[in-house]
Amino acid sequence: MLHFDRQVPFDMHDKQTELPLRPGHTDQAHTAFDPAVARFRAQHPEDTFDGASGVLFEQAMAQTRMAICLCDPYAPDLPIIFANRAFRHLTGYDEHEIVGRNCRFLQGPGSDPAQIEKMRKAIAREDVVVVELLNYRKDGTAFWNALHIGPVYDAEGKLVYLFGSQWDVSDVRAARADERHARDLARELSHRMKNMFAVIGSIVNFTGRMRGIEVEAREINDRIQALGRAYETTLDDSHRGTVEVGQAIRAVLSPYDPDGTRIAFEGNGLRSDFASVSVLGLSLHELAVDAIRYGALASDSGRVAVGWRRNGTPEEPVIRIDWIESGGLPRDTLPGSAGGIVERMLDMAKGGIVREWRGDGLRASLNIPLRNA
Amino acid sequence: MTTLHPSPTEPCRILVLDDEPLILLDLEFAVEDAGCKPLTALDLMEALTIVQNHAISAAILDVSLGKGQTCEQVARTLAAMGVPYVLHTGDLDRMDEAVRGLGGTLVPKPTPAAVVVARALESLAIRPV
Repeated sequence: MLHFDRQVPFDMHDKQTELPLRPGHTDQAHTAFDPAVARFRAQHPEDTFDGASGVLFEQAMAQTRMAICLCDPYAPDLPIIFANRAFRHLTGYDEHEIVGRNCRFLQGPGSDPAQIEKMRKAIAREDVVVVELLNYRKDGTAFWNALHIGPVYDAEGKLVYLFGSQWDVSDVRAARADERHARDLARELSHRMKNMFAVIGSIVNFTGRMRGIEVEAREINDRIQALGRAYETTLDDSHRGTVEVGQAIRAVLSPYDPDGTRIAFEGNGLRSDFASVSVLGLSLHELAVDAIRYGALASDSGRVAVGWRRNGTPEEPVIRIDWIESGGLPRDTLPGSAGGIVERMLDMAKGGIVREWRGDGLRASLNIPLRNA
Repeated sequence: MTTLHPSPTEPCRILVLDDEPLILLDLEFAVEDAGCKPLTALDLMEALTIVQNHAISAAILDVSLGKGQTCEQVARTLAAMGVPYVLHTGDLDRMDEAVRGLGGTLVPKPTPAAVVVARALESLAIRPV
């Protein structure tokens, strides 16, 4: 009776069935009898399997889509003594071309020596190891092999076989590479966009200076740069088509609180479409500028709490933003730009703002339609 | 550093390096507005020449200068001379570790030109004259 090392991944079988098979290497599971299993049993009568579990094991070996081989740890150069149908199918070799050879016949010029060495060391230590190695089929085509190797012990704890399972992970590797590529692209795009906003800012600035309208140019530029910060966050998530509202809010407000002590943020991972970001970003920029001019951020002790959440009805959801200033200089009336640009922008976006002056700062609640479908 | 004010009447010189001429123009104005004399460079060689031929008080260095070039060599030269500089970059994440390790003040792009210049001069103000 054989005892497989507990770490040998028979449980991987379930996961494998979800993975697509490569063209030309179709699923051979459920096909009948694998004579290699019977032959192996005939040649190794001492390793019989008891009753029902033995039958199940043989069927599993024959039918699994995971390529499996057993090697003799005592023969010189660890020859393969058994390879199941999936192994033959994966590699393109016939049984007689496999049995008696060391597994390295699958290696080639692209096989990483470091991974091979890792494998060799694990075998010497009777350890379980998983490596990803570029292997080659009989026809010379390469595939990424997720190779899992481990010892098999008998009832007395004596090493009897080395177990190897192979799985073609070329598709997985390709997907990983695509993901990396997409990330690099997003980063490059982000870099270029920052540079572009820097150049636009420069143009506005020196135009204003040459025309003698520095103050107006500064106001325009500050709005443009706020927009740039709001959009910057969209790049990380460009594939999702939506933006995390909180991330955009933090990015827009970050320059007004360089130490991170004056503005507190409260919200969840609410997401919105790109189109809401411009109005949202610019509105908060205007509130921050007002707060610095005559609100809570005009005094050292003042604070702002910014919260965002989903509100409205299920049919017509809105993003609700609460802007709560405190600790500002006492004032009787509401200063600032009521009826100004924020009102106009939000109105245009079918949203709105309600402002209330509380003596030591502004309380404003903003609404903007949530479009995240 | 005796070059901080080359003479009582002469304003201090600020090296400004950026491969984008429009940003350079904006920074040039901002340096003038701060009462200093800007010396502008569009590439690495130009900047090195300026550093060799002029006593400069501080510098604003764009980190990535296109075609795989960075400002590292200028930064190293300035550091060796004890001249303070800010690293003006749109790419804080990807920036060459070698440049970052030199210890200049990091100013992310985009930052208003007046603020960039203020940061450059601020490192100058705290230096013992």
